[in-house]
Amino acid sequence: MSLAAEAFVSQIAASEPWPENATLYQPLRDNQILLSDCASSLAVQAYLRMCDLPLRVCCRANAEHMSPSGKVPFIHVGNQVVSELGPIIQFTKAKGHSLSDVLDDVQRAEMKAYMELMNNMLLTAELYIQWCDETTAAEITRPRYSSPYPWPLKHILAYQKQWEVRRKMSAVGWAEKTLEQVYEDVAQCCQALSQRLGTQMYFFNRQPTELDALVFGHLFTILTTQLTSNELSDKVKTYSNLLTFVHRIEQTYFEGLNQAGQSGAGPWAPPEV
Amino acid sequence: MAAAMELSCWGEGWGLPSVHTESLVVLAYAKFSGAKLTIQPVDWTWKTLTGTVPALHCEGHTVTEPAQILNFLRKQRYNADYELSAKQGADTLAYIALLEEKLRPALLHTFWVDTENYTNLTRPWFASRCPFPLNFFIPGRQARVALSLILLTKGESPLHSITEVEAKVYNEAKECLNLLSHRLGTSPYFFGKMPGSLDAFVFGYIAPLLKASLPSGPLKQHLNQLTNLCQFCDAVLKTYFDDDAPGSLPVPFHPSAPSPGSPPVSQDASVDANLQKLTQLVNKESNLIEKMDDNLRSSPQHKPRAPPARPTTLSSQKNSTPA
Repeated sequence: MSLAAEAFVSQIAASEPWPENATLYQPLRDNQILLSDCASSLAVQAYLRMCDLPLRVCCRANAEHMSPSGKVPFIHVGNQVVSELGPIIQFTKAKGHSLSDVLDDVQRAEMKAYMELMNNMLLTAELYIQWCDETTAAEITRPRYSSPYPWPLKHILAYQKQWEVRRKMSAVGWAEKTLEQVYEDVAQCCQALSQRLGTQMYFFNRQPTELDALVFGHLFTILTTQLTSNELSDKVKTYSNLLTFVHRIEQTYFEGLNQAGQSGAGPWAPPEV
Repeated sequence: MAAAMELSCWGEGWGLPSVHTESLVVLAYAKFSGAKLTIQPVDWTWKTLTGTVPALHCEGHTVTEPAQILNFLRKQRYNADYELSAKQGADTLAYIALLEEKLRPALLHTFWVDTENYTNLTRPWFASRCPFPLNFFIPGRQARVALSLILLTKGESPLHSITEVEAKVYNEAKECLNLLSHRLGTSPYFFGKMPGSLDAFVFGYIAPLLKASLPSGPLKQHLNQLTNLCQFCDAVLKTYFDDDAPGSLPVPFHPSAPSPGSPPVSQDASVDANLQKLTQLVNKESNLIEKMDDNLRSSPQHKPRAPPARPTTLSSQKNSTPA
């Protein structure tokens, strides 16, 4: 959308309250969804729960193609469709719900910087491990990504997506990295997060912000997903304050729903084959 | 461990020790941490084609990419971040990620994709620094790489044309500059009184934008309004790159370099330094007079105007209309 259209849409957004039937769309949880998509989806769910906004989660095989920007997850609210965490945060802000209003300018700058760190390092590392590491790509990623589709189409779609991701990796300079270097980058990122969190409950004051939602989404998914090797989750497990942080958010925002046994509402990522 | 270290990077120009962002980052960090590097500019050599720039050569190892080079220097005990707390170290990493994600696409666009800047400034400069057949295709190759990076990382699906991506990219860059300015506030460097790796990165990204005389620069105009960042840049240049301090880099002296900001050869240090400062002052004054002249000529009523109070905006910047 051009900027004028965005401003127009947020004006419309501001006029209506958050409806009861807001829905979040993501790929199929059991067979199709990948690590990076699951992390992004969980981050959005955590954010909306922190804002105390009702949400239903719907799994669809073609969620990626329905999304306006080609990325999952996306939410369908009223008659608008918004995808990805950044625009969703702006959208909820236009409706009057925001978690970062209490921060001053310097803190907001820090929060944005840390969110970029997560996107730059952790998300890119997840994409690299999924698509550029040949073992993981062949055993896990390509079969999962193409599972809903029939025979010739599944290979075409899987390889097309892989080619796209590898092109992006070489544009940002990650194509020449080895897997060990990527794991080291993940460790560095986790160390930075751990040092920033320290002994606090959340990253800023005593209230959660979008940074907490994003960190939770990624770390929880990494901890509960089985890949070909456990090295990624081991890197995260070395930082105990991050583990307690993840448990705390899970218990505060996801526990009640999970016990009620609602399908599609819990955050559990399925163990990979 | 005083092993000899050599850095190959793009050469100097526009009043800076190097015009290439990543090379500038490494040079600034080396100055902050006191590492002595011999500079091997790749200008006029075939390394412009084959070499990755910047690259640090030490005892047979070669390290590329600014982040890796900084790590290597830290392992060699040249650490400018020694006094930072753990939290500040984490903040450094986060802000560097912010710079790379938000500011770098806009800078690449300003220098390599924006047609006016590319044809009038960037391409001539780089073409003049490459040996004969390479000057035809190296700038073009860099421009293509820059464009593909911008489109692949920022040109997501609803934004299909480069003009829409431009608007988004420049907005994010302006926001990033505002955030940096808020974070810097009134202190001389980002963390306390001594510069560290974050200062090196910010300097490397901002200095070319500030010092190059870009024909069309909406981002540069935005930067000029953030006076604390401009002062930060000038302070780093003046403190670490102008003075002939002991242990400064023995920069090869190009007789063709006309700009008065280039560091002098280290002989007759104080006389040269004073002469240079005097020259800079005279140049600033003459720029001031020229600008006043221009203002007078362009104003329809020939009203006498007071000269601009900020000397940092005087780097031969033409009045450009917004694109």
